[in-house]
Amino acid sequence: MNKPYPDRLGMKGWMYAGKYSFERYLYLGHRLSGLGLIAYMVLHIIETANRLRGEEAWAGLMALFASPPFKVIEYLLFVMAVFHAMNGIRLLLVELGFFLGKPKTPIYPYKTSVLRHRPLTYVVMIIAVVVMVLGGSSLFF
Amino acid sequence: MRESKLWSLHILVIPVIAVLLGAHFAVQHYAPVFYGMSVEEARSYEVMIARNKDVAQFVVYMLLLAAGLYHGLYGARGILRELPLTPTLVKVVDVGVLLFGLAIFALGVYVTWWTFVYPIGG
Repeated sequence: MNKPYPDRLGMKGWMYAGKYSFERYLYLGHRLSGLGLIAYMVLHIIETANRLRGEEAWAGLMALFASPPFKVIEYLLFVMAVFHAMNGIRLLLVELGFFLGKPKTPIYPYKTSVLRHRPLTYVVMIIAVVVMVLGGSSLFF
Repeated sequence: MRESKLWSLHILVIPVIAVLLGAHFAVQHYAPVFYGMSVEEARSYEVMIARNKDVAQFVVYMLLLAAGLYHGLYGARGILRELPLTPTLVKVVDVGVLLFGLAIFALGVYVTWWTFVYPIGG
């Protein structure tokens, strides 16, 4: 029986395991933002349970969240959510076969699916940055 | 459940999260636009309790809780399973993530139900 090839790099392989393309860093960002968002969701569920302790405890918590450090954290959360959602849309579209062009005979130099949908990648990331800037301006100004 | 079905569910809940999270943001962060009240007012205890007594809000929270936790914890499980783990540790990860998800889901349901049946005026 063939043994599976061991994952020798483990988490170190996420950060750098060779020459990476732009999409490889988007993959890393997607994972990190996903982990950040699920950690936040769990904390959010626990934090909103504070209502069980009454009005005073709730008001104290809301006052804390209105403080400047929490505004920055809130914005970072927004940035993670926008990035994760926009990159997720790109991944879904490519997974469903959009923006990859028609199948062609492979002739060297090969054009990979990553290169074929790179214009989509740029458009999606530009939209993400615009939304992040607009969100920041509405949150802080 | 087969892994392909779990993965399909992970993808299928995305539109649910997108719509319900949009509704959640509209209520919490864009209250001045949609409800004509300040964000601080929208987050006050009385308004929060009153809002959570609405059946539609209750349904939104339940679905968002289930969809968000499933999507996020399934993703986290996939990342953990990619680590160099023994088959026993893989099972520990599977069961651990499932139990953790159920516990957090139960807490969310309890808090939402508590708010839903909380007597007006305290």
